[in-house]
Amino acid sequence: MSEFAVLLRGVYGVWLREIMRATRDRGQLIGGVSRPLIWLLILGVGLNPYFRGEVYGQVNYVIPYTYLQFLFPAVIVLNIMYTSIQFAVSVIWDREFGFLREVLVSPMPRSMILLGKVLGGATVATLHGCLVLLLARFADVTMGVDQIAMAIGLMFMLSFGLTSFGILLAARVRSFEGFGVFSNTLILPLYFTSSSVFPLDPSLSRTQAVTSYPEWLVFLVRANPITYAVDALRGVLINFHQFPPTAGLAVIAGMCVLFFVAALWDFNRS
Amino acid sequence: MTHLISARDLRASYSGKVALDGVSFDIEEGASFALLGPNGAGKTTLINILCTLHRPDSGSVSVAGHDALRYPRRARRNIGVVFQTSSLDDRLTARENLEFHGLVHGLPGRRRETRIRQVLELVGLEEWEDDVVRTFSGGMRRRLEIARALMHEPKILFLDEPTVGLDAQTRQQIWQYLDRLRREWSLTVLTTTHYIEEVEDADVVCIIDHGKIIAQGSPERLKGEYGRRWLQVDTIDAATLEDVQARFPEAQVIGVRSIVVPAESADPEMFRKGTFEGKIMEVRHREPTLESVFLSLTGRELRDRADPGKVANGRGERR
Amino acid sequence: MIGARRKRWLQVAANLALVAAGLFAVSFLPPDNSLADVRRTGVLKLCVPKEFPPLVQDDPQAPGFDIELMQKVAEDIGVRLTVNVMLSMGKDFNPRNWQLTRGQCNVIAGGVADTVQTRNFLQTIPTGAETGWVAISLTGEQPESGSTWAVWPGSAGLDRVSLSSWVREQGIRPVLMRSPAELSQLLQSGRVDGAIVERFVASSAGLPRDYRVTWLQPKQFGRYQMALGLWKGDQTLFRAIGRSVQKIKISNWFGGKNVQYGLGTLNALPD
Repeated sequence: MSEFAVLLRGVYGVWLREIMRATRDRGQLIGGVSRPLIWLLILGVGLNPYFRGEVYGQVNYVIPYTYLQFLFPAVIVLNIMYTSIQFAVSVIWDREFGFLREVLVSPMPRSMILLGKVLGGATVATLHGCLVLLLARFADVTMGVDQIAMAIGLMFMLSFGLTSFGILLAARVRSFEGFGVFSNTLILPLYFTSSSVFPLDPSLSRTQAVTSYPEWLVFLVRANPITYAVDALRGVLINFHQFPPTAGLAVIAGMCVLFFVAALWDFNRS
Repeated sequence: MTHLISARDLRASYSGKVALDGVSFDIEEGASFALLGPNGAGKTTLINILCTLHRPDSGSVSVAGHDALRYPRRARRNIGVVFQTSSLDDRLTARENLEFHGLVHGLPGRRRETRIRQVLELVGLEEWEDDVVRTFSGGMRRRLEIARALMHEPKILFLDEPTVGLDAQTRQQIWQYLDRLRREWSLTVLTTTHYIEEVEDADVVCIIDHGKIIAQGSPERLKGEYGRRWLQVDTIDAATLEDVQARFPEAQVIGVRSIVVPAESADPEMFRKGTFEGKIMEVRHREPTLESVFLSLTGRELRDRADPGKVANGRGERR
Repeated sequence: MIGARRKRWLQVAANLALVAAGLFAVSFLPPDNSLADVRRTGVLKLCVPKEFPPLVQDDPQAPGFDIELMQKVAEDIGVRLTVNVMLSMGKDFNPRNWQLTRGQCNVIAGGVADTVQTRNFLQTIPTGAETGWVAISLTGEQPESGSTWAVWPGSAGLDRVSLSSWVREQGIRPVLMRSPAELSQLLQSGRVDGAIVERFVASSAGLPRDYRVTWLQPKQFGRYQMALGLWKGDQTLFRAIGRSVQKIKISNWFGGKNVQYGLGTLNALPD
């Protein structure tokens, strides 16, 4: 029995537990279903009249796609953000109710424990992202198998990075209540400044100047890493980029490495 | 004799407060070793160090021949731990908890399956294997934790207050399982407890107080060495109690109207006649017990018996 | 025991399947009323310019490819097609001044190219006919630096900005035309070495003999399909018309019409 097989088994065990817990948590699943419904069906359809064409030649929304198509990739990211960052609740839960010790006295190295946990959380978050894909028809987003595969790959990487980030947060929060505040002061601001619900990039074209925004907002959007994640997913799903296509992939990969290493450092120290 | 565990001069402190102050001991293979001490004596800290969850400030620990501080993962393969508070995932079923434990300890599939069946049978939870742990009683949870700690066939089992928060019948049952384990699987068991009657059957009792070991040995040896015979005197009022104490400087007050006096310095007849006549309800001898050993060593009574009040307290601690 | 475990997982799988099926079912809700409105009034309003041969022609026998296609589409949807001839279309460089509104038109055809510029305010259903800039000259050569060329950027939605900057960079002296009708006259007057126009302007202008038409700098300028334009946000109508066009394509109707109107591959234009 090689050491590698033993480690793999351990990672699988930790991963499996996260999956099982997610399947027993109805609240989480309800959230994962209701968010895309609210954002695509209610918000998307509700705002559609304000983003549609009214007069030939008049551009009031500088994206060669419909509002729903534009919104669709962002809703996937939103669902992933919620599920990933709220995964930290599971970490706090383990710590508060003592389960963490059971894992810590096992012969698994801490890095492998963390890897299993992050992979588990990322899998669940990716699945929640995939729930949104089921609404593709509604948003008139047509995807080939290769696009779906690429999108899921990106979604998983994003989930991995954000789950690691959630674990980093969990180490700094003492109670569940504290975490609720955290998630709302973090997820929604990040979401809204990620160019998710309005297009933003003055350099896109001259016509973009029609819908110019104040400099500070532009700065927030450009500083927000989620912006690039949304952009990467848009590139794959509707072939639309506001930033260089490689920027999104680089930012997502960077988040994965940075947050996982930071979470590992945290975890080894505690 | 091989020492399965050797601890040398362990010191630990939490935010300036000393929890362990130079603790050394050895545990022989197959022994039942009991750590006895009041709450806050440093028992849990000691267990945490032995199972590599906590690093001592100084000292050394070897577990099954491995330096537990330098190679914690090697040490962990040889230990099973039952924590004072539950560490089960109560949203999973009994089997799933065991399955998880088997996976993180690297047991291959068929081995896991066999062991799950064996340990469930050992603690008599076969019928509930597919029930979610949340529905379990305190005793069932503790049994499941013991079963889980044995899944990977450790050489030594640590149990931190394994019976706290359980009713008398369940406590007895738990000790029966542990006895059977030691006999049938020749397991080394280290338990901590503050219930004195639970350590009577241990091979070695180690009394710990204020982070120091104050006595160590078999219950018989401890009783012979430190156990004094005491006379317990129950008075009719508090004034008499004070009179008795004034007369016997070594006397220890153990209740509102109860006091114990070293048997060698007093004669029961003294209380039936003379100054104390009519003011004493009862005088009786107390044979040397571990309780009296503790009393002699610390000048305090280890009063934490498993009375119903304590049971309620124990629950409170767990959540 | 194993049964209980399997049941637990089956339950999980069933729950997930239920959720997925529910979401998928929801995706069939109509996102807007555009199709319902057309069905209710029984009229599909098509806006076209007076002429954009061969897509729109002023000839009752051969009304143009786009018109005939839209008649088939309306038939397929089960409504009547009304053709609104918008005299303003193509008259001005700025399409905004044509004053085409959602109220007047459900679909716009006869000169809509499927470009990013167009898709900023319309959704497009490509019809296969290709457009792009073409160079018209006696020699059939590309414009050279220092030569003089008549330029008519047209109004189909091609990128005029890139054309004008290219003309400037190449050092070509442009002569702006006021309307496509001037094309023949300008060419024959000898004041220009050739003309740069949109493909369908060239094909419908009635060029003098011996003039040759080639794609302008094929490596520099892309070619685009002509399309039916629908308002962005009219998703249900867009889907219905898209489906009809697909159906009509399969029925081989396109082949015959392409030949009739001289569309299809541009055999007149070498690559």
